Amino acid sequence: MELHELSIQQAHELLSRREISSEELTRAFLARIQRLDPRVKSYVTVSDELALEQARAADQRIRAGESVTPLTGIPYSAKDSLSTRGVRTTCSSKILENYKPFYDCTAIKKLKSTNSVLLGKTNMDEFGMGSSTENSGFFTTHNPWNFDYVPGGSSGGSAASVAAGLAPFSLGEDTGGSVRMPAAFCGVTGLKTTYGRVSRYGLLPLVSSFDTIGPMARSVYDVALVLEAIAGHDPKDSTSRGEMPQLYSESLKKTEDLRGLRIGIPREYFVEGLDSEVDAALQTAIKRIEAFGAEAVEVSLPHTPYAIPVYYLILFAEASSNLAKYDGVRFGLSERNVDNLLELYLKTREKGFGAETKRRIMLGTFALSAGYYDAYYLKAQKVRTLIRQDFQQAFENCDALITPVAPTTAFRIGEKITNPLDMYLSDVHVVAVNLAGIPSLSVPCGISNGLPIGMQIMGPHLSEEMLLRIGHMYQSETDWHTKHPPCWND
Amino acid sequence: MSEKTEIQVDEKMVREIASLARLDLSQDEIEIFVAQFKDILDYVSILDEVDTESVPPAYLFSANKSVIREDEIEPSVPTDEFIANAPQSKDDSVVIPRVHIEQ
Repeated sequence: MELHELSIQQAHELLSRREISSEELTRAFLARIQRLDPRVKSYVTVSDELALEQARAADQRIRAGESVTPLTGIPYSAKDSLSTRGVRTTCSSKILENYKPFYDCTAIKKLKSTNSVLLGKTNMDEFGMGSSTENSGFFTTHNPWNFDYVPGGSSGGSAASVAAGLAPFSLGEDTGGSVRMPAAFCGVTGLKTTYGRVSRYGLLPLVSSFDTIGPMARSVYDVALVLEAIAGHDPKDSTSRGEMPQLYSESLKKTEDLRGLRIGIPREYFVEGLDSEVDAALQTAIKRIEAFGAEAVEVSLPHTPYAIPVYYLILFAEASSNLAKYDGVRFGLSERNVDNLLELYLKTREKGFGAETKRRIMLGTFALSAGYYDAYYLKAQKVRTLIRQDFQQAFENCDALITPVAPTTAFRIGEKITNPLDMYLSDVHVVAVNLAGIPSLSVPCGISNGLPIGMQIMGPHLSEEMLLRIGHMYQSETDWHTKHPPCWND
Repeated sequence: MSEKTEIQVDEKMVREIASLARLDLSQDEIEIFVAQFKDILDYVSILDEVDTESVPPAYLFSANKSVIREDEIEPSVPTDEFIANAPQSKDDSVVIPRVHIEQ
């Protein structure tokens, strides 16, 4: 078995028995990135020197017999919206092309404290604005299953790096499907965490009330290992949840069936526009889950058709506020050939932001401007309440919900980029979760024309343990998550 | 919601928004935005169907209450690290172009 094929669990066992070193493992990934990533284009920055330093520190720790966790010495990639001390953090935007944070975000800090090895930072749609990584200010990431197709977005680089064997796991970030959708398109497992389950401190914000950091890996078990390491309360993020994270991986080992669980199938998620092969894959997957003793029941989330307009209106508004800080004064791009401060703002922002970012800043500024606030932003926040109530009511009748992650498999590069509204509509199955702040797991459940299909399992706030159990049971008797793209052996 | 039907999406309106958003858009960009604004605002008007008369806005939905931590002194970032990202600096301060605009 090649080193890039190891799961976190397998690599951990070999490291513990000192059959391999973290430096060896890290060098294997760095060499593979150098060889294969020019075609996949999942990384914006490869932090090779730092990675080798971290790997050697991990090896020392293992040799010294110090407390070792399942992630000690394991390499990983992180979406480029997570601050990394001394490592360029760009959000795939030209306005932050040379920005090096002086601190780590809490999730990265936690991985550092257990001597995980950061390989580099992954490509994304600029500031998370997109569903394909085509809105990256630098380049488009390719889907490892077929280089002519998008990897999904916005954490497309993270998903592609895991699918192509360029990292055993990645930290992604999900504002409106940005972990789940690329996970589905690239055939990996991804978890959108409960809002507040993982600290947002040091995450460059897109929509502060939607943003969540979550793991992406090649199995539910590996996702559980990463979640254990990054979850928990953080005094530096007042919205982080105080409840202690569970030992998710331990609970998976004990799971034998899903008896007693009621799985809701929301009828509004299986409607016109859903690809027939995606639909068929989901029906088969639901039957599998029923075979473990769970009971499937039809439920309704009646306000589903309003999720996309609500999501985008709130996103436009909050993003336009969050992006006001990029003004060329304290960090980032700065157009200095100007006569006064106002010109500095105007020229820096015009040059630094891409088309989609400008479009959303414009729409948000409009939605928040005098005279329109009630009609757009306030109205959207009210309908958001109704969408949350839909989920609360559904969870009175069932424990979890199962739906597709996306209505289709990955689309072709270039297919939707000229029509922003068409691109927004590809998020139809994922955004409501962020409006409600609930967790949701994306698990591979089929392949159509050589491209992966994803199943979404949603649950109430802080139900990660249950979602992982359902996903793990499913993966214990299916092999979709073990299938690899053609470039796997390159 | 009646005010929405009166929205005139035209170049003048897009220019005003660009000025508020501090974006120095090109003429091409403005023309594209006029068309796309119309489409997107038309699409989101589907929300008008929903009766929200007695519905409170969501804003913060987390189970958390407002949290205030102890005001304990911790070491902060050294100024030189903080200032290292500034495009232009002098004596630990950030330098900006002049603010005043000659009329």
